[in-house]
Amino acid sequence: MEKLLNELSSECQPAYGVECDVAINAQVPENLKRSIPLGLPNIAENDLLRHFTNLSRKNYALSTVFYPLGSCTMKYNPLINERIARNDAFNNVHPYQPIEAIQGVLEVMYELEKDLCEVAGMDTFSLQQAAGAHGELAGLLVIAKYFKSIKQKRRKIIVPDSAHGTNPASAAFAGFEIVLLKSEPDGSISLDKLKEVLTPEVAAMMLTVPNTLGVFEKNIDEISKLVHDNGSLLYYDGANLNAVMGIVRPGDMGFDVMHINLHKTFSTPHGCGGPGSGPIGVKSFLETFLPVPRVEKKKDKYVLNYKKSKSIGKLKAFFGNFPVILKAYAYVKALGGKGLKNVSEQAVLNANYMLAKFKDKINIPAGNICMHEFVLSPKTLFKNDIRTIDIAKRLLDYGYYAPTIYFPLIVDEAIMIEPTETESKETLDKFINVVNKIILEEFCRDPQKLKDAPINTPVRRLNEVEAARKPILKWE
Amino acid sequence: MNIPQDLLYTKTHEWVKIEGNKVKVGITDFAQHEITDVVHVELPEIGRDVKKEQPAAVIESVKSAFDIYAPVSGKIIEINSKVLGSPELVNNSPYEEGYLFAIEFSNEKELVDLLNPDDYKKLI
Amino acid sequence: MDYTPQNQKDKKQMLESIGIGNIDELFKIIPNHLKAKDLNISGGKTEQELLKYFLNIASKNKKLISFRGAGIYDHFIPSLVGEIVGRSEFWTAYTPYQSEASQGTLQAVFEYQSLICALTGMDTSNASLYDGATATAEAVLLALRVSSKNRILISSGVHPEYIQTVKTYLENSKAKIEIISLSDNGRLDKNTVDSLIDNTTAAVVIQSPNYFGVVEDMDALSSSIKSKNSLFVAIVNPLSLGVFKAPGEYSADIAVGEGQVLGSSMSAGGATFGFMAVKKSLEWKMPGRIVGQTTDRDGRRGFVLTLQSREQHIRREKATSNICTNASLNALAACVFLSGWGNVGFSNLAEINISKARYAFTKIKSLDGFKAKFETETFFNEFVIETSKNIKKINKVLLKNNILGPLDLSNAGDSFKNCLLFCVTEQRDKAEIDSLVELLTKI
Repeated sequence: MEKLLNELSSECQPAYGVECDVAINAQVPENLKRSIPLGLPNIAENDLLRHFTNLSRKNYALSTVFYPLGSCTMKYNPLINERIARNDAFNNVHPYQPIEAIQGVLEVMYELEKDLCEVAGMDTFSLQQAAGAHGELAGLLVIAKYFKSIKQKRRKIIVPDSAHGTNPASAAFAGFEIVLLKSEPDGSISLDKLKEVLTPEVAAMMLTVPNTLGVFEKNIDEISKLVHDNGSLLYYDGANLNAVMGIVRPGDMGFDVMHINLHKTFSTPHGCGGPGSGPIGVKSFLETFLPVPRVEKKKDKYVLNYKKSKSIGKLKAFFGNFPVILKAYAYVKALGGKGLKNVSEQAVLNANYMLAKFKDKINIPAGNICMHEFVLSPKTLFKNDIRTIDIAKRLLDYGYYAPTIYFPLIVDEAIMIEPTETESKETLDKFINVVNKIILEEFCRDPQKLKDAPINTPVRRLNEVEAARKPILKWE
Repeated sequence: MNIPQDLLYTKTHEWVKIEGNKVKVGITDFAQHEITDVVHVELPEIGRDVKKEQPAAVIESVKSAFDIYAPVSGKIIEINSKVLGSPELVNNSPYEEGYLFAIEFSNEKELVDLLNPDDYKKLI
Repeated sequence: MDYTPQNQKDKKQMLESIGIGNIDELFKIIPNHLKAKDLNISGGKTEQELLKYFLNIASKNKKLISFRGAGIYDHFIPSLVGEIVGRSEFWTAYTPYQSEASQGTLQAVFEYQSLICALTGMDTSNASLYDGATATAEAVLLALRVSSKNRILISSGVHPEYIQTVKTYLENSKAKIEIISLSDNGRLDKNTVDSLIDNTTAAVVIQSPNYFGVVEDMDALSSSIKSKNSLFVAIVNPLSLGVFKAPGEYSADIAVGEGQVLGSSMSAGGATFGFMAVKKSLEWKMPGRIVGQTTDRDGRRGFVLTLQSREQHIRREKATSNICTNASLNALAACVFLSGWGNVGFSNLAEINISKARYAFTKIKSLDGFKAKFETETFFNEFVIETSKNIKKINKVLLKNNILGPLDLSNAGDSFKNCLLFCVTEQRDKAEIDSLVELLTKI
C-alpha cells in the first residue's frame, strides 16, 4: 500500500524552492490575509519522485498492456507526438501574444481544421472544445442558434437508446428535450419508429455511425432524407470515426454537424481521463454560428477573427486544448490520407478477426460482420452466478485492461471490444485465447477463481457501496 | 417478497400508508431488492407541492438512479431525514425506518387509483 | 508511418479466418455511392521528417519574456512535474473505470482533491473540469440547480472570456445574467452588491484577484450575499491562496478557478484544468468525477470513482453535467506541484509574486507618462497602469526587445482607456524588470 502524501509529510527540506532577488514586500492587509493553515505536505524531492513513480506502476496503461476498451479507441499514442508537444516553443506561448508572435500555433490549428474537413466531408471545423461531450454541447448550441435565426421553435433532439450517455446529457445541457428512440437489437434504427417521433418540433437527431454495437447504419440514406425532409438536422457523434476514415465521410452521408474526439481517433493520449479535444465540424450554412475566435488566413498570415455576430460565443477561455490539437496534427502528417484509410481498414480487420474467433462460442447480438468494434453477450453461458463483471475482473489477472462492460445499455451483460489497428495479430490471438479459456474452462471448472478475481492487481475488488454511502473524498 | 396487507401500492413500486389527511410513502421490498444497495437518497423540501405520478425523490445505487413518484398530489409535510445519512435503511427496513416522506393530499379521489396488496403482487 | 504492425501474411490469415478474400468485403454494407474518394491529405512523413517539420513550425512562435497574464501565467514548473506527467503509465492510461487496475490514477486524484480542499478551505473537490472558464459556468449551473432561482449576478471583474463562456452555457436556459460594475477603486462595492441581490438571485460570482489584479474584500462581500440567501461562487487564483483568504474562510459555497498556475505550461491557453470545490451540502450536486476512499476485500485501503449516479454515463439527460473526459493529467501536474513546497515554501512563493509585482509597480508608476490606476489597492501579481503614451507603440517596442508587454485594456470599457495590465510572476528576475522599466522610459 502506497502512503498518502499527508502521511509522507515530515519536517524535511521540501522538494521545491525559489529565491527572490528583490526585497520581500508583500504588504497584505490583515482583512485579506489567510488565517487558516495551508495544510500542504512537506516532502523531499526524492520521496516525492518515489511516491508518484510507485503510483504510476499501479496503473494498467496502454504503454504496459493491451486495452481493448470498446468505444474508447485506445490506440498506440506515437511518442514523436509527445516529443513535439513538449517543445518549449509551443509550451511557453501566451494566448494573448500578438498574432505575429504565434504564427506557429495558428498554422497548426488552421491546417488541422482543413485536414479534418477532408476526413469528415464537412465544410469547416472549430477546435475550441475540450472534449467530445464539450463538442456535442457546442454542436447542439449551433443547432439551437440556427433554428433561432430562422425563427423556428424546435425544442427536441432524438437520441437512440444505444447512444453514449453524453448524447442525452449534452442535449439536456443545451436546453433541449430528449426524445428517446428505441433501437433494433443490433443497434440500428427502424425507419418506422423514426417516422413516429419525427415531429415538427424536432431540431435534430444524434446518431453514432457505426453504432455502439459496431454496426454500420445501413439505412443512413433514408434516415438522412427523413430527417431533412422534416426540416431537422442530423448530428454525427464521432466517437466511432476510427472505423470509417477514408471509407465513408459523415458529410457525404448527410450529417450537418459532428464532433471528433482527437484523443480517440487521432491518437492523442487519454491522459488518465483528459485533457482531450472535441473539434466540431459543420456544413457551410452553419459556419457563422461557430465559437469565436476563428482562425483565418490572410495572404500568408494567420489571424484570429473574433467579430462574428452570430457566433454561439465562447465554449472555454482562449483557443482550445492546443497540445492535443498539435499531437493530432502530427498524427495526420505522419499518416496522410492513405495512412488514415489504412488505419480504418486495419481497425475493422482486427475487430472482425476477433469476432470470427468468438462467434461460434459466444452470443453476438449484432451479426457476424462488424466495423471497428463488436459487442459480446455471454449471458447464455453464465453458470454458477458468474456475471460479465467477473469476466472483466478476471481479465485483469491475465494482464489485460478489461473491455467496456455493461454498455451499450440495450445489450444484457454486454462486453464491448475494440482492438484498434495498432495491435498485432499475436496480441489479438493471445487475448482471444485468454477470453476463451475464462469462458469455456474457468466458468465450469473454477468459478470461484472468477468470483475472487482480481488477485494479481494492487488491490482486490473494492467496496463501492460503502464508498458512496459514507463518502471519504479527501484525507483527514 | 414482503407485501404488507395494510398498505396500498403504485405501479411504480411505491407503498402508501393513509393516516388521516396525509399519506406516508416509501418504496416496496421488491423495489429495494431490484435497486440493490441504496447509496444515496434525495428527498423533496418540506412544503413543496407535488403532483401525482411526478418525480418527488431520487434513490441512487452505485450504478443507477431511480425517480420516486408522488402517489398522490399534495404538499410534502414530512421527510425522513434519517435515510439521508443512512441510506441503507431503505434496504434494511423499506416499510418502517426506511420510509421516505409524507404528503398532505389535496384530492382524496386520487387514492382510489392506488393498488391493493393483491393487485400489486400480481404486478410483480 | 501509420503505426499498424500487421504484415501481409498476418492480413491474409486474418481474412481467411473471417472467411473473406479481401478487406473491401468488410465494408460491403456501406452504399457504393457514399464511399469516399482518396483523401486529399498530405502526410506519410517519417519520425525524423515530422520532427523537422514541426521544429520549423515551432520557430514561427516567438520566444518572449512575459509581462502579460490575464488568465494564463508564466510560472516556474519544477522538474518533478514534467517527470511524473511524462510517465506513460499516466499519460496513456484511460479514465479509471476499472479501479483495481487504476489505483495509481485514483490515489493521485484523491490526493489532488485533498490538496485542493486544503488550499481552498472547502469541503469537497471534484477530479477537475476543462478550465477556469468552464468551471465557472458549471458553478453557475450548479447554483441554479440547487437554488431553483434564476438570476445570476457576475462581477465585471471576472475574466471577460469566463463571462462569455457562462453566457454561452446559459444561452438556452431561463436564467438571467446581470453584470455588477466595479467601483472606481477597481473592486466591488459592498453596498452596490447588497442593493442588487434580491430573492430571485441564485448566485453571485466574484473573482479575486479580479481581472484587473485587485484583491476583493471577499469577507465583506460574502456577508452581504449570505444575508440575502444567495450562493457565493468565488473564482480564485490558487497560487494567491498562499497569502490571501481562502474561500472556505469567507464561507463561499462554490470555489472555482484556473489551475494552470499549478504546474501546467501556458501552451497558448490550454490544455489547462479547472478546479471546483464545494461545501459538503453540495457534493451530490457537483459535476464531474469524484474519487473516494474505500477498502478492498482484504481490508486494504483503495480508491474508486464514487457518487457516480450524478454522472452522464448513468443518469444521462438528468446528469449534473455532460462532462466525461476532463483534464486529469493537468490535475496530476497540480498534485505533484502542490506537494513539494511545504506550507512555508508555498506562502513564500505567493509572497515572491507580490514582491516582484510591487517592485515593478513602484518603478513603473513613477515614470513620466505612467501612473497607478488603483494606487492603494492590494494586488497579487497583476496591476493596472494608466499611460499617456501610445499603447501600441509601447508593445511594439517591447516586442522588438523580445518582451511580451502588458495587456492593452482599451477593450475593457471606457474607464480602462489608456490602461495597461502588467503581470510579474516569480519567473521575472530583477534585471528583466529593470530592463522593461528602462525601455518604458525611452518611449
